[in-house]
Amino acid sequence: MRLTLPALIAHGRYGRRMGLGPESRINMLRNILTGLVRHERIETTWARADEVRIYAEKLIGYAKKGDTDEKAMKMASFWLTEKDLVHKLFKVLVPRLGSEQHGYTRVFQIPNRDSLDRAKMAVLELRGNPFPPLVTRQPDSNGTLLNQLLCGYRQEVTRSRAAGGD
Amino acid sequence: MSVTGLLGFFRRSFFHLESRILQAIGFNSRAVVPALSVQGPGIFPQPHRNEETEEHSFLDNMFWMAAPKKRRTIEVNRCRRRNPHKLIEIKTNIEPCPECGNLKQKHVLCGFCYEKVRRETAIIRGQIQAQEGKPLNNPAVETVVLYEGEKPAATDAGKRIVERKRQRPSWFTQY
Repeated sequence: MRLTLPALIAHGRYGRRMGLGPESRINMLRNILTGLVRHERIETTWARADEVRIYAEKLIGYAKKGDTDEKAMKMASFWLTEKDLVHKLFKVLVPRLGSEQHGYTRVFQIPNRDSLDRAKMAVLELRGNPFPPLVTRQPDSNGTLLNQLLCGYRQEVTRSRAAGGD
Repeated sequence: MSVTGLLGFFRRSFFHLESRILQAIGFNSRAVVPALSVQGPGIFPQPHRNEETEEHSFLDNMFWMAAPKKRRTIEVNRCRRRNPHKLIEIKTNIEPCPECGNLKQKHVLCGFCYEKVRRETAIIRGQIQAQEGKPLNNPAVETVVLYEGEKPAATDAGKRIVERKRQRPSWFTQY
């Protein structure tokens, strides 16, 4: 039995492997995060969206310290490769999302990609973006006047049947 | 009794004793010592005999290959092929979308509804790109999308306005 066998099995391990290695993974996630901050709603594979979410929330957490904070500025300048987005992060996203403690991003799974790989895709968006909402809550139709009247009518019928039966 | 005869007897008995001891240990001298040692090209039957002896030891070492003993009957085959773990799993998580009526999986967004939203988002983004003009020109202000006949509200004071020349779709609620 090979002693390196447990090292090859990844049962219960947390970190995902992406790209060509750890550095490649960070670079890839950095690009996706930059895209998210620029466009506020992006479509990627589900695994990448899941990973970027962690980094996006941490970045906004750091940015909440303010742009005078050295650590926050270092983080922002590392993670956002396009420098006009650093201003957007501190001036737009922090006021918009600063009141919440967490949950600045949302991930929804969408139907698998059309190409041959049929990859599991997700759409990753920042809360409060100007685009049309992805999930619309259906208004409760029980509250409409017509439905309430019909409900009352049904109750009356059952009551009269019960009374007539007795 | 001659001396040479006596010596020969002792020599032979010594060798016999040696071979018996070796046999007792398990060292089969018959296998080690060649049966026939000939100088020059070997006699033709010899390799054939070696092969035969090797084959006998091949059999003796019990080196078998697996092969089916009997034909699998159609009943047995059916049991294996139709076992539930081999059949395609039936998905019970498919339901109609309450908005459009197309089928969707419970944990996945409706494909039709998402496509609608995606197209509208792409058009809005195209307008934003046209407004920005050059790349990396993102202004550090919020954005608001206004449709035909809509005026910016009091809350949209400092925001960048993106105008869409169509009626507001029913699924794009303003709040």
